[in-house]
Amino acid sequence: MDAVNIAELSGNIAVVGYGLAAIGPGIGVGLVVSKTIESIARQPELAGKLQVTMWLGIAFTEALALIGLATPFIFV
Amino acid sequence: MATSTTQVFAKALKLSALLVVTVAAVCSLVGYLLVGVDGVLTAMLGSAIALVFTSMTILSVLFGARLPLGGFYGLVLGGWLLKVVLFGILLAVLQRMEFIHGPTLFFAIVISVLGSLGIDSWVVLRSRIPTIDSRD
Repeated sequence: MDAVNIAELSGNIAVVGYGLAAIGPGIGVGLVVSKTIESIARQPELAGKLQVTMWLGIAFTEALALIGLATPFIFV
Repeated sequence: MATSTTQVFAKALKLSALLVVTVAAVCSLVGYLLVGVDGVLTAMLGSAIALVFTSMTILSVLFGARLPLGGFYGLVLGGWLLKVVLFGILLAVLQRMEFIHGPTLFFAIVISVLGSLGIDSWVVLRSRIPTIDSRD
């Protein structure tokens, strides 16, 4: 490290991409599931309807994760 | 678990599998034209990955619903965690494989996932789930 570089990093930037691909959908899925559980606890008779809606929410959120994990195949 | 809900999940699984087979066939053809047999293998792998990824969500909700709320939460989120870790490792391994054609794999995965999302939405919109359902 020379005098100009006060911080130097080495490695593959795709690793940061993997992290970002996991953290966003992770928070999203957590929110969807927690709200569904809260709703089922309030109204257990609606469980079936809420679970189907939750599944759709999770499916849309996790699609981002899969696409994010697959991006190194075209960007790197 | 409510019977009508099970039917929705079963229908979504079946239609998603059909769609992914179709996507695999089309991507295999494109992959073959681009890079030959390696493209066919890559397209099939990509579609299979997308199918497993999307169907694991459906199965976790389907089986989780039979458990108490804590078990449901654990199965759905634990399944999600396991899935992301497994696919992270799998894709990292695939990157080192000689026969993998990157763009074919990427587009096979993305088209399959987006198609499955379309199918899921269509199935949910067309389904008739009673507000208060009978239990098995």
